[in-house]
Amino acid sequence: MELEEMQALWSDLTNQLDHQKKLTDKIIMNMTQEKYSNKFRTITTIETIGAIFCFTIGVCVLANFSKLDTWYLMLCGVIMVAFLLGLPVLALRALRKIRAVNITNKSFKEALLDFSKAKKNLMNIQKGAVAASFVVMIAASGVGAKILGNKDFFLVERNIWANFSILLALVFVSFTSYWGYRSYSKITNSAENILKELE
Amino acid sequence: MQKEQEFVRIIKQHEGVIFKITTMYTNNGDDQKDLYQEVVYQLWKSFETFRAESKISTWMYRIALNTALTKLKKSKRMGNSVSINRVVLEQTENYDPEFEERLKVLYAHIKQLNQIEKGLMLLLLEGKKYEEIAEITGLTPTNVGTKI
Repeated sequence: MELEEMQALWSDLTNQLDHQKKLTDKIIMNMTQEKYSNKFRTITTIETIGAIFCFTIGVCVLANFSKLDTWYLMLCGVIMVAFLLGLPVLALRALRKIRAVNITNKSFKEALLDFSKAKKNLMNIQKGAVAASFVVMIAASGVGAKILGNKDFFLVERNIWANFSILLALVFVSFTSYWGYRSYSKITNSAENILKELE
Repeated sequence: MQKEQEFVRIIKQHEGVIFKITTMYTNNGDDQKDLYQEVVYQLWKSFETFRAESKISTWMYRIALNTALTKLKKSKRMGNSVSINRVVLEQTENYDPEFEERLKVLYAHIKQLNQIEKGLMLLLLEGKKYEEIAEITGLTPTNVGTKI
């Protein structure tokens, strides 16, 4: 085969390839899917570590439940255990659902619809967690004081420093709740942008 | 996000080039797809640092050829056999079996060359001048001329 013939053939090949701009579509979709899933990787790791922490404390509270000797401390224990065991499961399940939104095998509209449902669910759980965290903080104070120090948090006399500590704890819970919710909000918005780029 | 859109636009504009390079350096459809994916991935990685000091096509040829050669070294699949089922993928509307056969012959000729010569031949067929081939391959223009 002469060089001129090769060049002519190559030129034909180039022309044909220029008319079929489909080769990279699948790869780009796969890369987008990977990027989308990676958006939730760090937060899933943090949630998993948090879940282990919560389960450990939850089990400890359950093991010492008999020390809670009044009806309101028992109620605090129940609230705390329900929060520590239930919330991580709900959050991790919601994260798994949102990560599982399939871009490659579904149409843009279907993927966006799946995402919207999963996002709504995830953000509702986060809102619930923020609201519950203040109640749980009070419940945890009662349970902690009883189990660790055999004191009734709700009856014991407190000096100004103790009250200041409670105030500080409330500020801390408010800050972490706000930070957590904002992180989720940022990540889900960023993931949504990736999906919208596909349109 | 704008950078990503720009990358996708460039890749789609030059996907024919990637296809031709990956077909030249592989012997079957699966390897070709793997290499294609690897090239796109490497282009994406280096796109962050692309400073537009060279032409986008020069940058693309350089990365694609380097990736192909590196992957070949890694996999040690240096055979010259031609077992491509269809050189031109996804030809749906204008698929021409005769054209396909001629392409197979062309690729069979090219595949007899060593890895560096393959790259030079590809760039020559792409219509690149010696200076640009030199810039892409890192050889001197004189050396390119001699080898060609």
